[in-house]
Amino acid sequence: MQQQVKTWFITGASKGLGLALVKQLLAAGQKVAATSRSASQLIENLGYTGDDFLSISLNLTDDNAVKQAIAQTVATFGSIDVLINNAGYGIGGSLEELSDNEVRTAFDVNVFGAINTIRHTLPYMRQQRNGHIINISSIAGYAAGSGWSAYAGTKFALFGLTETLAEDVKSFGIKATVVAPGAFRTSFLTDESIVLPQSPIADYEDVRASYSRTLSYNGNQAGDPEKAAALMIEAGFNPNPPLHLFLGTDAYNRAMAKIETITAEIQSLKSISVSTDY
Amino acid sequence: MNIQKTWFITGASKGFGLEFIKQLLEKGDNVAATSRTLEGLTAAAGTHQNLLSLAVNLTDEQSVADAFKQTVERFGSVDVVVNNAGFGLFGAVEELSDAEARNNFDVNVFGALNVVRQAMPYLRAQKNGHIFNISSIGGYTGGFAGFGIYCATKFAVSGFTEALAVEAKPFNINVTLVLPGYFRTNFLESDSLVTPKNIIEDYKGARESQELHTQQINNNQPGDPVKGVAEMIKMVEVQNPPVYFFLGSDAVEMAGKKIASVEEEIAAWKSNSTATNF
Repeated sequence: MQQQVKTWFITGASKGLGLALVKQLLAAGQKVAATSRSASQLIENLGYTGDDFLSISLNLTDDNAVKQAIAQTVATFGSIDVLINNAGYGIGGSLEELSDNEVRTAFDVNVFGAINTIRHTLPYMRQQRNGHIINISSIAGYAAGSGWSAYAGTKFALFGLTETLAEDVKSFGIKATVVAPGAFRTSFLTDESIVLPQSPIADYEDVRASYSRTLSYNGNQAGDPEKAAALMIEAGFNPNPPLHLFLGTDAYNRAMAKIETITAEIQSLKSISVSTDY
Repeated sequence: MNIQKTWFITGASKGFGLEFIKQLLEKGDNVAATSRTLEGLTAAAGTHQNLLSLAVNLTDEQSVADAFKQTVERFGSVDVVVNNAGFGLFGAVEELSDAEARNNFDVNVFGALNVVRQAMPYLRAQKNGHIFNISSIGGYTGGFAGFGIYCATKFAVSGFTEALAVEAKPFNINVTLVLPGYFRTNFLESDSLVTPKNIIEDYKGARESQELHTQQINNNQPGDPVKGVAEMIKMVEVQNPPVYFFLGSDAVEMAGKKIASVEEEIAAWKSNSTATNF
C-alpha cells in the first residue's frame, strides 16, 4: 500500500505521538524531517542516523526559523508532502487563574507555531499542486473539558483554522485534516509536559477536582500512541482523507455527546434564533 | 422583577455594541461602554446619566482593570459583561503574516480573556452575574475561504467559553456564547474588515470570497442588529440559559449542516477511530 515515498515534516517529535510517527515512517522507508527543541536529543531518543532522516532544532514561534527549516527540508529531500503539526501541550486552570502570559504562551506553541509551519509549507505545496496538512488538535478542541478552558481555546482554534484552510487550498489539490485524539498513553499528563496555573485561586474547587481526576490517568490512558500514529499515517496516504479524524473510543463518545447537547440547545432556542432576521 | 443592572460592553462605538447602549439606556439599566477612543464613543452614543464611556485598550490588562474599577465606583457593581469587541480579518492563511494573524487574536481572543479575567473577581464575590462572549457562526463552522485566521479566533472564543460556562457555574454566574450569522453592521465595511497586506495571485477562491463579502453580502446581511441585541438582552432573565446561542436563521442553518457533515464523517471513520486502544 505504501509504495510511494513521501517527505513528511513532523513537529514536536521528541516524544509521544510525534516520536511514534517518526519511528513508523522511517520503518516504512519514508523521508522524515522532524523538529523538536533539541535535534541531538531527538537523534539520541530515536537511535537512528540515516539519510532519510533530518533532525531539526526549532523554536516554532520563530517565523524565520520555521521558514528556514522547511526550506532545508525541501533542499534535502526535494519536496514536502505531508506536514504534521503535532507540537503542543496541555494547560489546566480556569480562565481567571491563568495570566495573560500563561495563555499567550499556550497559544504560541499550540496555535501560532502551527500557523507558522503552514504559512511556509504552502508555497511548496502550491507549486507541487499536491500536499496534505495534518493538524493535531484534541477531543478538547471539539468538546471543551471543564478545568481546561485555555487549552480548549487553543485546540478549538485548530479546528476552525483547518476547516477553513481546507477551503483555501482545495483548488491546489492540497488536503487538510484536523485530528482529535482522546487520551493516549504519552507523556502529555506528566509534570514535565502539563502546565498548571502559577497562581491558583482556592475557590475553584471543581477545577482542582477535575484535574486531579485527569492527572490520575497518567500512565494508564487507554489509547495506544502507536495505533494513533498508524492511523494518521494512513490518512496521510489517503487521496481522500477526512477533514476531521477523531481518535479513541473516548473521543468518539465525547464527540457524539457534544453533538447531542448542542443539537438540543439549538432546538431549545430555535424560534428565538431565527426571529432576528429583517 | 426588573432590577436595574449594570452592563459592561466592549467595542461599543458601532454595531452590536452601540445597539446595546441604546436599548439598555432605554430600558433604564446602567452601561459602562468601552471603545478605543472616547471621541468615537461619544460621537456615536452621546452622553446619558446612566452611561459611563471609557477609552480602553483591551490588550492592555491594566487598562481593562481600571475600566472595571471605574465601572464599580460609578455604579456600585457590574452585573453583565458583554465581550463584543472584535474584527474580521480576511486573507488566505498563507497570505497573512505572523503579525497580522496575532493582531486578530490580540483583540478577538486575548482582549476578551483580559475582560473575563478582570470581571470574574467581581462576579464571583457577588455570586451573581452573566457573561456574554460574542463569537460568530464562523466560530462553529469553518469553511469560509479566506477567513481562516478569523475563524480560528472565533473557534477559540467558542472553546474557552464552553469551558468557562462550567467553571463559572458554582458561583451562580451564567455564561452565554453568542454565534451570530451575517448581521447588518459595519463588520464588512472597509474601516472594520482588515484585508491582507500581501496578496498571493494563486488564491482566486479567496479573492472571489472577499469580493462576495465586501460587494454583495455587505449591506445585504439578513440579520437585524436591533432584534439580535434585543434577544441577547432578554437572555439575562432566563434562569438556566443554554450556553450556545446561535443568532440568525442563517447561523442556525449553517450549524445544522455542519453537525450533519461531522456526524457523517464520524460514522464513516468510526471503526478506525475506535480501534486505537491498547
